[in-house]
Amino acid sequence: MILRSEQLAACTVTEVREEVRDARRRDEAIRIAGSATWMDAGRVVRAERLLSVSGLNGVIHYIPGDFTITVRAGTTLQHVAAMAAEERQWLALEPFGARSGTVGATIATGSYGPLAHAFGTPRDHVLGLRVVTGNGDLLTVGGRVVKNVAGFDLTRLFTGSWGTLGIITEATFRLRALPEVDESYALAVDNDPQVMDAQLRAISSASIAPYSVEMLNAALAQRLGVGTDTTILVRLGGNSESVRAQVKALSQLNTVGITSPEIWSSFRECEPEGATVIRFARRPSHLGGLWRSAVKRAAGALVHASVGRGVVRCIVNRDNDEQLTGERWWDPGSAIVERGADIPLHSSGPLAAVTCVRAGISRRIKDVFDPSNILNPGIMGDVG
Amino acid sequence: MTTSERDTELAAKLRGITGESSVLTRRSQLLTYTSDGLPTYRKWPALAVFPNTRNELIEVVRALALAKRTFVARGAGTGLSGGALAEGDAVVVGLNRLNRILSIDAENRLAVVEPGTVNAHLTRAANAHGLHYAPDPSSQTACTIGGNVAENAGGPHCLKYGVTLNHVAALTVILPEGELVTLGNADGEDAGYDLLGAFIGSEGCFGIAVDVTVRLTRNPEAIVTLLADFTTVEAAAQAVSAIIASGIVPAALEMMDNATIRAVEASIYAAGYPVDAAAVLLAEVDGLKAGLDVDVRVIEHLCVELGARTVRIAREEGERMRLWQGRKKAFGAMGRIAPDLIVQDAVVPRTRLPEILAKIGEIGRRHGIMICNVFHAGDGNLHPNIAYDARHAGVEERAHEAMREIMTVCISAGGTITGEHGVGLDKLDYMPLVFTPQTLDAMCQVRQVFDPERRSNPEKVVPVHSCREWYAVRGARA
Ligand SMILES: Cc1cc2nc3c(=O)[nH]c(=O)nc-3n(C[C@H](O)[C@H](O)[C@H](O)COP(=O)(O)OP(=O)(O)OC[C@H]3O[C@@H](n4cnc5c(N)ncnc54)[C@H](O)[C@@H]3O)c2cc1C
Repeated sequence: MILRSEQLAACTVTEVREEVRDARRRDEAIRIAGSATWMDAGRVVRAERLLSVSGLNGVIHYIPGDFTITVRAGTTLQHVAAMAAEERQWLALEPFGARSGTVGATIATGSYGPLAHAFGTPRDHVLGLRVVTGNGDLLTVGGRVVKNVAGFDLTRLFTGSWGTLGIITEATFRLRALPEVDESYALAVDNDPQVMDAQLRAISSASIAPYSVEMLNAALAQRLGVGTDTTILVRLGGNSESVRAQVKALSQLNTVGITSPEIWSSFRECEPEGATVIRFARRPSHLGGLWRSAVKRAAGALVHASVGRGVVRCIVNRDNDEQLTGERWWDPGSAIVERGADIPLHSSGPLAAVTCVRAGISRRIKDVFDPSNILNPGIMGDVG
Repeated sequence: MTTSERDTELAAKLRGITGESSVLTRRSQLLTYTSDGLPTYRKWPALAVFPNTRNELIEVVRALALAKRTFVARGAGTGLSGGALAEGDAVVVGLNRLNRILSIDAENRLAVVEPGTVNAHLTRAANAHGLHYAPDPSSQTACTIGGNVAENAGGPHCLKYGVTLNHVAALTVILPEGELVTLGNADGEDAGYDLLGAFIGSEGCFGIAVDVTVRLTRNPEAIVTLLADFTTVEAAAQAVSAIIASGIVPAALEMMDNATIRAVEASIYAAGYPVDAAAVLLAEVDGLKAGLDVDVRVIEHLCVELGARTVRIAREEGERMRLWQGRKKAFGAMGRIAPDLIVQDAVVPRTRLPEILAKIGEIGRRHGIMICNVFHAGDGNLHPNIAYDARHAGVEERAHEAMREIMTVCISAGGTITGEHGVGLDKLDYMPLVFTPQTLDAMCQVRQVFDPERRSNPEKVVPVHSCREWYAVRGARA
């Protein structure tokens, strides 16, 4: 939410630094934007200025044989994907949201998608960053090689910090080779709790090494046209012999149907404008229970779950989000508001004392990088 | 109070916490703790304490905070950058007695361990459930999970499976000022800043890990190990590039050069490597049984095409183990060739390997020293090691000069100064070559968030003079 929209589209790192220094002098806060596809994620950001870094785009360094790519932060995900695809490579991240989203925003928000099952989240893909801090300093953290333990790992601190520690201007990612075969299959899941839990266990122990395993509720399955009721989507990659054997292993569990590989793009972009998105997670063995509680509370919502990671993601109409968060039904797991208005989810109970120390560390880290609190103030709630 | 009076008082206080036999003060007792896996340094700590339980560890750290003493956590002491060394006033906090595996949740593939748990012991325990702990430093039979977390340790199989960072779900840490904090979340997702990620690889400067929740990995259905031998190092390096470019992700892809092969074959770890080869590649593929042979054939074909004389394929466990034994014990075998050994660690972009290896060879020849290369080729993570005899005049200086040149070559190729051994003491001088003063200063300040008085493993990782604020304050006082 921009109070006074003084907009600047920075095209160089120097401009970003000047803008930050100027804002600091005048004690004005900056709202950082990439392609502005996601902006404040529904949260209240108090800022006098809007700084777009989408002009800061393009590839800086790409040697396919190294399987690493360095791009400016305003480069879109689809641009990176297209370039890598020419070399039969990919950034195996494919986060939820528009493909016109930028690299910088993806890293800042720690966004991920169904591929997290096999390849992890941005923290597992980012090798190094250049960042302009709230002091106007330009930092080069991490590096361009796939293994690196030189110095303290500031790359991990900036990843997922929602721009509150610095403005990412450049990033280096690890890429992978595109598999020879990349196929996706749908299988129906029974809603009876016992049967469902048995099916989930069978999938986890099956002789498969999937890229993604996502369970969709009836509404989402229908929307994507892959089923009429609860459905599991499995993405398999590798050489053809391996994929064939995995399909066979899957079909021993239930009838499977092949789906179009395009399904993942529609899935990534299925969120309606203005929806609230909340992720709940527990250890994967509790997924069945977590799923049923979420589905029950989120009537009318689109719900899906990363089966191997125990994460249930609910996309719900903004007017209805209270039904999901009225009580802490997910304990001892986690609930994270990915997108939506300030929904209080503060922790309580025996862990509170420990959490308090942690909040103190987070606040002091914020003080190191943005002592005047001018970068995206409020976007992470009470920092930490 | 004199230094020795302060030490005596502290020793008494610590004995009150841990019991008589868990505090060492005599030089003869402390000798073991004056060096780590890198024999080039020797530092004497004031004393050493070995907590027997989690509570004792917490009490010890609090007592040290009260006494305003510096301290250095120590796992197995296998580190290769001098990280676990303590000097002067500093107290060694030995963690090897905290070696219990607290729980294994096989269904969710998680385990909670004490920091002194030996890496290989964890994998052995997990094996009962068809699981293992993936990061496998070559020192895994000795090094501890706490040390692995501190160094963000890697290992041969990290090419496919990732390093320690990718396998830790949560940590409990005792901060230097005595507070306990949980980083990460084993029961769901983590919110807020990635403090867990920041702690991993912090080399003991952010506090001591009291327990570690690690992710376990399913054992692969099938494993095949290949040994390809080449008549030039360059051909072997090109084979590495070709295999990576093919899109196959080998579980491991390791290279050993002729000097290493001969050292291994002359030792008790002889693995049957051809001693006349310029280099051998040890490649491993694992995973589902179906389709694995396709990958084996592709790797074999690429090696032959790039000039491999032979490609040996080991499927049977005994033979695979023998091939690996030589690789895992290569450092030990090198120790036999000469009394002194510099173990180096650097990373270069993978496409630069052939060129960099040629330059390393040239540097060795120019300085008249023997360099043995044994390394994680698939990651571009080099370990050029120099075996020498310091008793010969001038050799040590030449060895160090050659190392400096090698590091410079790696940095200018776009690489970095350490891929897995850490900065510790050994690489402090190289830090300004890879990071700007502003970045180094930011690292100092983040360290001070966790350790405001800089008492936890002082003077490691970031050169003190890079810390603007700290330097200004101390400089003003002096
Ligand atoms: C033959 C040989 C082969 C090796 N191969 C590899 C390899 O393949 N890959 C690799 O990554 N490394 C390798 N190493 C290096 C070394 O084994 C690793 O760095 C290992 O992680 C160190 O573990 P340790 O328990 O011995 O730690 P130590 O040497 O005791 O300590 C290392 C650092 O960790 C800190 N520390 C220890 N425990 C804790 C704790 N609980 N909390 C906070 N800080 C702590 C110490 O203060 C110190 O700074 C090898 C070493 C040898 C000798």
